[in-house]
Amino acid sequence: MAEFRLPRNSRIARGVTHAAAAGATQVRAVRIYRFNPDSGENPRLDTFELDTKSCGPMVLDALIQIKAATDSSLTFRRSCREGICGSCAMNINGVNRLACTTPMQELQGDIRIYPLPHMPVVKDLVPDLTHFYAQYAAVKPWLQTRTPAPPDRERLQSKEEQEKIDRPAACILCACCSTACPSYWWNSERYLGPAALLAAYRWIIDSRDEATGERLDELEDPFRLYRCHTIMNCTDVCPKDLNPARAIAEIKKMLVERTS
Amino acid sequence: MNMRSPLARVLGAGSARQGVHHWWSQRVTSVALVPLSIWFLVSLLSLPSFDHWVVSAWMAQSSSALLLILFVLVAAWHSQLGLQVIVEDYVHAAGARIVTLVAITFAHVLIAAAGVLAVLKVALRSAQ
Ligand code: SF4
Ligand code: SF4
Ligand code: FES
Repeated sequence: MAEFRLPRNSRIARGVTHAAAAGATQVRAVRIYRFNPDSGENPRLDTFELDTKSCGPMVLDALIQIKAATDSSLTFRRSCREGICGSCAMNINGVNRLACTTPMQELQGDIRIYPLPHMPVVKDLVPDLTHFYAQYAAVKPWLQTRTPAPPDRERLQSKEEQEKIDRPAACILCACCSTACPSYWWNSERYLGPAALLAAYRWIIDSRDEATGERLDELEDPFRLYRCHTIMNCTDVCPKDLNPARAIAEIKKMLVERTS
Repeated sequence: MNMRSPLARVLGAGSARQGVHHWWSQRVTSVALVPLSIWFLVSLLSLPSFDHWVVSAWMAQSSSALLLILFVLVAAWHSQLGLQVIVEDYVHAAGARIVTLVAITFAHVLIAAAGVLAVLKVALRSAQ
């Protein structure tokens, strides 16, 4: 059955509080999920009193500041700090988003930071995304053709054809959507999830691709595709304003259309 | 210990290549249920009373009996499709899932047949 409670070894204990440095003027409490697999202990919630005056405006700035000044063992992923690499996705005040594009000012009350929900945790805010990436690989996210490419140029596509894939191709694979999807929580072993399905859709509607039928065949499955119940959490949280729920609905529509 | 590669785990036993029929039937039956349930409620409420002989006389009309049978069949079908989704969502052990799905199908066929039989009995008896 689906699990509605955290397993015993995942229940979160109260952690330590790091008081703000003397002389801090704009203090905000940042509560951060901590888990160290080597310690053998349950995860805990640490509180860092942060002087927001001493660091940049985004949640990622706070994390970097805490790691630099207070606790160097704090572990999280980040790279671009401008919302394009997808590394810093985490659950901030109950919503999956990118730490680097979330201003602390927009958050009410204490700042609460957890790893992406319902994924195995490697350490602190770093989830294990192996399965998520394998699901992306499973939809064969590359151009498949039988017609050889013209010898002297690239394969052509009209402006309207390009516009169809323009948005779906902007996905940064941050996993905010899939890890916000209840269907993915319950059935991620077999349900591909919104991110992989959006990627599949991006190739299904690519005018240059010649494997549309095979791609649809691979998706037509009660679990791979039809676990989506149009709950729309995916579209709500996507930090790039993409619409995986609509892409999934389009795939379902194409599957009906080809039967009649 | 599971040493299969991450990709092998995702690919599993491959695509079932079905699901579109289930999904589409669910939509079509819900569309059919809209006029059927409105008709059912409106006809029942516009009866002068709920006395046994009044309702039986209404059911004895061919049009009522026909639409009632359709209502029972479509509602049972729609309910079976919906429960199947819930079981597939939440029952993860393959054995338990398959047994539950078969039991649900049997129960719905039974309910549908019982409903049709009930309508026919009332309709035919009152029509005599
Ligand atoms: S669709 Fe949006 S939320 Fe999902 S992985 Fe892509 S960018 Fe992230
Ligand atoms: S619309 Fe589908 S993919 Fe998106 S959150 Fe809902 S169930 Fe998940
Ligand atoms: S650091 Fe690259 S998306 Fe946030």
